Amino acid sequence: MRQGMLTCEAISEAAAKCLVKAGTTFRKDQFEAYRHAIENEKNRNAKWVLETILENAIIAGKMRHPLCDDTGIPHLILEIGDRAMLPPGWLSAVHLGISRGLKVMPGRPMAVKGTIVERVEQSKGLSPDPAKVLPAPVTVKSVRGDKIRITVLLLGGGPEIRAKTHQIFHRRSMEGVLKQAVEWARAEMSRLGCTPCVLAVGIGRSHAESSNLMLEAMKEGRLDRQNSWEKKLTEWLNETKVGPLGLGGKTTALGAFLKVGPLRASGVRIVTVRPCCCIEPRKATVELKGTKSPD
Amino acid sequence: MKSLHHKNRVVKVRAPVDEETIENLRIGDRLEIWGSIYCGRDAVLPRIAKLFEENALDKINIHLKGAVLFHTAVSIAGIGPTSSNKLEIEENIPILSRAGVKIHIGKGALKPESLEALKRNNAIFAVTPPASALFAAKTLSQRIVAFKKEGMEALYEINVTGMPAIVAIAHGKTIFAQPPLS
Repeated sequence: MRQGMLTCEAISEAAAKCLVKAGTTFRKDQFEAYRHAIENEKNRNAKWVLETILENAIIAGKMRHPLCDDTGIPHLILEIGDRAMLPPGWLSAVHLGISRGLKVMPGRPMAVKGTIVERVEQSKGLSPDPAKVLPAPVTVKSVRGDKIRITVLLLGGGPEIRAKTHQIFHRRSMEGVLKQAVEWARAEMSRLGCTPCVLAVGIGRSHAESSNLMLEAMKEGRLDRQNSWEKKLTEWLNETKVGPLGLGGKTTALGAFLKVGPLRASGVRIVTVRPCCCIEPRKATVELKGTKSPD
Repeated sequence: MKSLHHKNRVVKVRAPVDEETIENLRIGDRLEIWGSIYCGRDAVLPRIAKLFEENALDKINIHLKGAVLFHTAVSIAGIGPTSSNKLEIEENIPILSRAGVKIHIGKGALKPESLEALKRNNAIFAVTPPASALFAAKTLSQRIVAFKKEGMEALYEINVTGMPAIVAIAHGKTIFAQPPLS
């Protein structure tokens, strides 16, 4: 190994820290979005919920405690620089880091044990080891440069019950597609429970691709940088007045993250909509230089 | 307890809860819950409901009269509400209310049938945010009561000091309204 080259240990440690940060820390844009929502919320119970979520985030950050007991399923997006030099076994090192992070945070021990049928029926119970919660299949992307970026997203169970991937006949109208997408989300808002949500939307050519685009939307999105379509999605959701925890008020959604990929020559768009819960998207990114070990 | 109708009052509730306390609660009341409460979700609530119907709850030392039941897992990651409208949780709310549970705590809107069952049994549904770090500071102790094999989904009893929640369904009234579809 060339001296100064990135090591598997450095990759593993970075991935572990990244996971812990994603699960225990609000980002600046989240804090700002909550403070803004609290200022604008007139419904006193709704305001109390927003304040409680904010207080929880402050305690979680200070104590390095999970933001939510459902610590989520790790989803990883790896961006690999086309000039990055990676050591043999680097991907295994990322996975090792994720399992280390789950032990440290700690993650919720929710891996279902057993064979295919036993897992589906949850008849063999759960593993007590949080590290047994395996990440979802990893997304790997090529980017320019010599760096690698590891992004960890932790996806909780509540939004998964309410998420949907489906086809929409676009009729050559962006507004029409998004209105249909938001209609699904509006129908689920009061049953989600953990509002205010952040709506993540991916639009692509296949169900797999649109789901992945939705994940990328979660990775890239910022609550303090919303484009006009994201603002519209948020407004449409806030019109429901479902409010925090369904208690009413102005704040049903804090924002929306939209990602549109390459599209098919067709009258159909495949759209994934996920109403992320009030502490999501839980995400963190770490960047490593792919030619020498990080300091 | 005196009946108050104005919104946003804070009511301290000690578990187990008596009938009068429930009669005086209104939707929108903010609760601070003290004492021992049960924690269970999808994996165990159907089994507890079945044991009640077989008159066998005492055999495993579960006492639901006046109980507060939090729809949550209990793990090293803490506690926090799961969706109460999940099939195996919501379909057992009527039976567990009949068995004596007075306050069900979770999240998410429930069906009209659940609302009716709660009313019939003088029980309520309260919601709370997923504030696991905050709840950790309000949890004094925890122990497994039954179904240990289910891990974090076992039936737990925890002792809490001032755990916050808001009454969402009480006496046939609900805070949840389905948004009109355009």
